[in-house]
Amino acid sequence: MQLRYVFTELRSGLRRNLSMHVAVILTLFVSLTLAGCGMLLQRQADKTAEALGNELQILVNLCVVDDPAPDGNCASGAATDPQRKEIERALEDSPEVESFEYQTQAEGFEEAQDIPQYEPYFDGPDPIITEEDWPAQYWITLKDPKEAEGVKSAVTGLEGVSAIKDQRDDLEPVFGIIDALKYGSWIGSGLLLLASLLLVANTIRLAAMARRREIGIMRLVGASTLYIAFPFLLESLVTAAIGVALTAGALAAFTKFAIMDGLADVIEFVPWIGWDEYVESLIGLVPPGIVILGPALTLIPTLLLTRKYIKV
Amino acid sequence: MIRFEKVTKNYPGPGKPALDQVTVDIDKGEFVYLVGQSGSGKSTALRLVLRELRPTTGRVYVAGKEINRMAGWKVPRLRRQVGTVFQDFRLLPNKNVAENVAFALQVIGKSRREINRVVPETLEVVGLKDKAQRMPDELSGGEQQRVAIARAFVNRPMIIIADEPTGNLDPQTSVGIMNLLEDINQRGTTVVMATHDHGLVDQFRKRVVELEHGRVVRDEAAGSYGFQHDEAP
Repeated sequence: MQLRYVFTELRSGLRRNLSMHVAVILTLFVSLTLAGCGMLLQRQADKTAEALGNELQILVNLCVVDDPAPDGNCASGAATDPQRKEIERALEDSPEVESFEYQTQAEGFEEAQDIPQYEPYFDGPDPIITEEDWPAQYWITLKDPKEAEGVKSAVTGLEGVSAIKDQRDDLEPVFGIIDALKYGSWIGSGLLLLASLLLVANTIRLAAMARRREIGIMRLVGASTLYIAFPFLLESLVTAAIGVALTAGALAAFTKFAIMDGLADVIEFVPWIGWDEYVESLIGLVPPGIVILGPALTLIPTLLLTRKYIKV
Repeated sequence: MIRFEKVTKNYPGPGKPALDQVTVDIDKGEFVYLVGQSGSGKSTALRLVLRELRPTTGRVYVAGKEINRMAGWKVPRLRRQVGTVFQDFRLLPNKNVAENVAFALQVIGKSRREINRVVPETLEVVGLKDKAQRMPDELSGGEQQRVAIARAFVNRPMIIIADEPTGNLDPQTSVGIMNLLEDINQRGTTVVMATHDHGLVDQFRKRVVELEHGRVVRDEAAGSYGFQHDEAP
C-alpha cells in the first residue's frame, strides 16, 4: 500500500468534510469528558467508601433500665450477663466480624463527657443523661466494610439489644451526592456518545458520497475493501485522536483545579482522587478508558458503514 | 477465457429475465461485439463477467474460474485481470492524465517505480504520451476515452470489457478508438465490446453475439450489425 497515496487521500478527506469532522471532534470531546468525569467520580466514591469504611464501626447498644427501645428486646430491663454472653456468641460466630470490644456504661459515659456537643446533657444538679441512661456498647470492626448485613441481622432481635447503629449511615448523603453526579455524567455522556456515533455515521455517508466516483473506479480496477476503507478509517482515527487529546486536557484540568487544588483543600477528611486515577480514566481497561473508548466510538461505526457503502 | 453456461439472471420484481439460458464461449485473444437493443441484456452480461452481479442460475467462468462461487475477498483479484471502459469515461476530474492512469495501479498497491515505468508506456500505446500532464477537461472526448482505455489496460489485463465505448463520440473519433482497441486485442488481450454502433461493427468485422430479450439470437464470426435481422425474410 502506498503511504503517500493514503496520506494524500486522508488530507483531502479531512479538508473536504472539515465542518463535519469538527462537529464529530467537539461532540466526542464533550461526551468523552463527561464519561471521564463519571469514571473519576466512581473512583472517588470507591476511594471514600474504602477509606472511611475501614474506620467506621458498627455499634450495638445494650438495654438500659427503662429502655425506650420499641421492639421488646428490652422488656426484661437492663441487659443481663447471660444476654451479653448470647450477643458475644453471635458476634464470634459471625464470619463478617473482624473483632469487637465491649464498653461498659461507665466507660462510655466517661468518654462522652469529653465530647463538647454532649455537655449540656450532663450539666447541672439534675442532668438529662446520667450514667444509668448511657448504654453499654459493643464496638464491632468488620472484615469487609461493605459486608455488614449478616452481623446486623445476627444480633437484631436478641434479648438485651436495644439498638444497632451503623456509623456508615452518617455518610449516606455524601455518597448520594457523588452517586447523583456520577449517574448524571454517565447519562449525559451516554446521550452524547450516541450523538457522536450518529455524526460519525453521517460523516462516513457524506464522505462516501463525495468520493463515489473514485470508489467506483477503485472497485473496478480491483482495489480491496480494506484499501478503499483505509482513508476512511484513518480519518476516523484522526478525529478520535484529537477528541481524546482534548478530553485528556479537560480531565487533567478537572483533576488538578477542581479536585486537587479545589475540593481537596476545602474538605480534608475525605481522601481525594489524584493523578493515578486520572491516568486510569485514560488508559484503564475496565471500564474502558478514554484512549480506548474514543477510537472505538469512531472506528466501529466506520468499519460497519464502509462495508455497507463501499462493498466490493 | 469467458464462458457463460446456461446463465439466467432475474432481477427482483416481475418481468422477463435479463438473461435467459445464455451459453457463450469466448476464447483467449478474441474480439467480440455484444450487440442488441437497449434492455437486451448486454450490460447484465458484462456485469456478470466483473462479478458485480451473480447469475440466478447457470455458471460464469472467467480465466478458467467459476466466478459466481468465488469468495468475496477474491473478487478484487479477478477484477485486476479485467479492464473496464465505459461510455462516460469516468475519469477523476482532479487528477491529470498520468495520475488518472496511475490511480489504477496505486490502489492495487503497485510500487512507485513500477508505476513510473508502466504509465508512460501505456500512454504511448494510446497515443497520449505528450498529454500526460493535461487535466481531463482540457481533452477532447476521444482523448478522454483513450485515457480511460489506458487506465483499463495499464495493468495488462487478460480481458477488456468495453460498454458502449464510442457511444459519446463522433464517427471519426470512434474509428480511432476502435483502432486502439484492435491494437490492444492484437497484443493478446481478449476484448468484449457492447455497442449500438452499426457502422463500426460493419467496418471492423469481428465475431458478433446478438442478444434479444436476454437470449442469444445470433453468434456469428466476422459478422455485421443486425445482418440476419435486416436480411432475413
